[in-house]
Amino acid sequence: MHCYVCFESIHSKTTWGHLFQLFNRKICLRCEKHFEKLQAEHACLKCMKPIEYHDGQMCDDCLAWKKRLNEDPLERNVSIFKYNDFLKDVMSKFKYRGDYEMVYVFEKDLQKAYVENFQNMPLTITPIPLSKERYEERGFNQAEAIAKQLNKPIVNLLTRTHTEKQAKRTKRERVFSENPFQVLEVKEGMNILLIDDFYTTGTTLRQAALELKSKGADKVYALTLIRS
Amino acid sequence: MNVDDYLTELSPLFSGRLLLKREIRLDEQLFQTLLQNNLFKEIRSIKKYIGFYECQRCFNQSSHYFGRLPDRTVYCKKCIMMGRVSEKEPLYEWCGPDAILDKVSQACEWNGVLSPLQKHASLKIVEAIQNRSQILIHAVCGSGKTEMLYEGIAHAIEAGKKVCIATPRTDVVRELAPRFRRDFPNIKSCALYMNSTEKDVNAHLVIATTHQLLRYKDAFDVTVIDEVDAFPFHNDPTLKKAVKRATKKDGSTIYLTATPRLDMKLKKSFQLIPAVSIPLRFHGHPLPVPKFHYIHQLEKQLKEEKIPADITDWFKNRKRRYLIFVPTIEMAEQVSVMLDHTPFVHAESPDRAELIQQFRNKKMNRLITTTILERGVTFPSIDVAIIQADHHVFDEAALIQIAGRAGRSHADPNGDVVFFYETKTRAMVSAKKEIVLKNEEGKKWKEETGEVEKI
Ligand SMILES: [Zn+2]
Ligand SMILES: [Zn+2]
Ligand SMILES: [Zn+2]
Repeated sequence: MHCYVCFESIHSKTTWGHLFQLFNRKICLRCEKHFEKLQAEHACLKCMKPIEYHDGQMCDDCLAWKKRLNEDPLERNVSIFKYNDFLKDVMSKFKYRGDYEMVYVFEKDLQKAYVENFQNMPLTITPIPLSKERYEERGFNQAEAIAKQLNKPIVNLLTRTHTEKQAKRTKRERVFSENPFQVLEVKEGMNILLIDDFYTTGTTLRQAALELKSKGADKVYALTLIRS
Repeated sequence: MNVDDYLTELSPLFSGRLLLKREIRLDEQLFQTLLQNNLFKEIRSIKKYIGFYECQRCFNQSSHYFGRLPDRTVYCKKCIMMGRVSEKEPLYEWCGPDAILDKVSQACEWNGVLSPLQKHASLKIVEAIQNRSQILIHAVCGSGKTEMLYEGIAHAIEAGKKVCIATPRTDVVRELAPRFRRDFPNIKSCALYMNSTEKDVNAHLVIATTHQLLRYKDAFDVTVIDEVDAFPFHNDPTLKKAVKRATKKDGSTIYLTATPRLDMKLKKSFQLIPAVSIPLRFHGHPLPVPKFHYIHQLEKQLKEEKIPADITDWFKNRKRRYLIFVPTIEMAEQVSVMLDHTPFVHAESPDRAELIQQFRNKKMNRLITTTILERGVTFPSIDVAIIQADHHVFDEAALIQIAGRAGRSHADPNGDVVFFYETKTRAMVSAKKEIVLKNEEGKKWKEETGEVEKI
C-alpha cells in the first residue's frame, strides 16, 4: 500500500503488529498527523465555526442568518476538519488538479462523523451538485465523491446552473435571487442530509436547503468535510 | 497574409510543447479544423501494456501513481500538478511550422572576467554547442559554473537556438533567473517551476526545474542539466527520458556536477562522454577540508535532549555566521527547541524562502537545516556543522556539497567545516578523500600552468 497523499509506502515503516490495523489504509501516519479535526466543544452548535467557548448558543453568523431569513432553512451543519495548509494542498490536488482518488483518504472520518451525528435518522443523502460546465471540466463532482464514502444510498435531488456572482446585491437578495439550484424530485416531509466539501459562508447550503424546503422537504442537515 | 503566415504566428504558443486541451486556447471549431489538417497531433497520454500502464507525459509506470476516475478512466497522479492526463484526456503536439526566435545580435552583456579554469570550461562548452554534442563539466562547489555557461549560451542564442537550463530546485531557478536577466538583457527568458506565473512564448532561454521538461518535446537546441547527480534527476530514470525528449534530436546536452555519481564517473573514464574537470574555486583557494569530530553517545545525548558540550563549544567559538545541518525534519525541530528556537528550514517549511533571505541578509546568526540547503543556494561567508554526519541521508555527494557551502567568498575564502559523528561512515571518509584529491589536482594545475589566480 502507498499513501494517497505522499505516495510513500505505508507498510515499510510499520511493524507486523500494526499491519492488521493498517490494512487498507489510504494515508500514512505521517500525513494523517497533519489533519486537524474540529472539536464540537469548541465550535458553534449549529455550523461548527471554531469559537473559544460557548454557553450553548450559536455563533454570530448563524444568528445573522436567522435574522436575515426569519427561519434558518438549515437545521445543522457538521464539519470534520479545520482548513489548514496541509489540507489546502490536499484539496487543491483533489478538486483543482482532479486527483479523484484523494477522496478515499477521508473515508474513515466521514463514516465516523455520519455515525456519530446522523445514525438512525431517516435521512436522504444528497450531494451538492456541480454545474454541467464544472462537471465536464473536472470529470467528477467532489461532493458526490465525498458522499459516496459513506457507503449509503445517494439520491441526486438537485441540479445546478452556472451563475456569475453579483457583488452589489445584499446577502439576502443574493440568497433568493441568485439561487443556482433546481429541485429534481423531493417527497413531502423528506428529511435531507446535504453533502459538500466546504462550509465557508453557509450560503450555498442554505440556498439548496431553501429550494428543497420550498418543494416540501421537512428538515435539512449538512455534512461537510471542511469548515473554513 | 495567407494561412501560412497565420500559422507562423500561432507556432510560438505551441511549438515544441506537449499540450493539454485546456492549454490550447483556441475556438473549438478552429481547433478541430487544425486537428483535421494535421496541424495538431493527438497523443494518447496513458498507454496500456500487458500488466501495466505508462504515462506518456511523465513516463510513470508505477501502479500506485495511477488512479481511476468514477467512470473507471485511468489517470496519472504523478504529473497531475501539470494538469491531469487520463485515457480520455490526451496530449497534443503542434505539427505546424516551427517557431522562429527573435534575432539577437548581442545576447550577453556581462563584462566580468573568467578565471583561467572557467575560461577553459567555457571554451569546451562553446565547442560542444557548436558541434551539437554532449559534455560533462565536473566543477567543484564554488567554481562559478554559471559564468562558465555565459559564452556558450550567448553563442547559441545569437545563432537562433533555444536554450534550457534545468535544475532540480525551485530555489535555484529563483536565484538564477534574475542573474540571467541582468547579464542577458536583450533576450526573452522565462522561469518555470511549480506555480510560477511566467509563460514560455518564444523564449530564447528557459530556466526551469527539471520536472518542467515534461512539458516539452523537441524544443531545445541546448539543454543544460545542472546538478545531474542530484535528486530528483539522479533517482528518477524517467527524467532522463524527459531530457532526451525535450532536446532536439541534433541538440547538445551539457551536464554540470560537483559530485558525479558512479554512472557519470564510469562514463567519463570510458570516454563515453567528453568531460572537463574544474578542481579550483573561482577565487583560486582550496576547498575547506571537513574536520571529523567524534562525539561519544551522540544519538543518546540528542535523544535525552542534550546538545553535547563539544558542539556548543563549537557554536561559541564561531566568528562567522553558520549553518547547522541535521539529518531529519524531526531533528531540526528538536535541535531548534534546544537552541532557543533557532529558526530551521526543511522541504516542507512554508516560510523557507523568507528564512533563507533573512539568513542571507544577516538578520540571523545561524540557521538549522535539513539537506534541503545542501546545494544551489549560497551564502558568502559562513561556517558549517553537521550533527550526526554518520546518518544515512548524508551520502558522499551530500557531504561534499555541504562542505562546499563554506568559503565561497573572494574576500573570505576560508570556512570551518565540521562533521559531528559517533560512528565513522564510508561516505564521510570518501567525501573527505575526494575534497583532498580535488585540492591536490587544483594545486598541481596551478603549478603546471603557473597560474596563481588572484591570490
Ligand atoms: Zn503520506
Ligand atoms: Zn454558527
Ligand atoms: Zn504522468
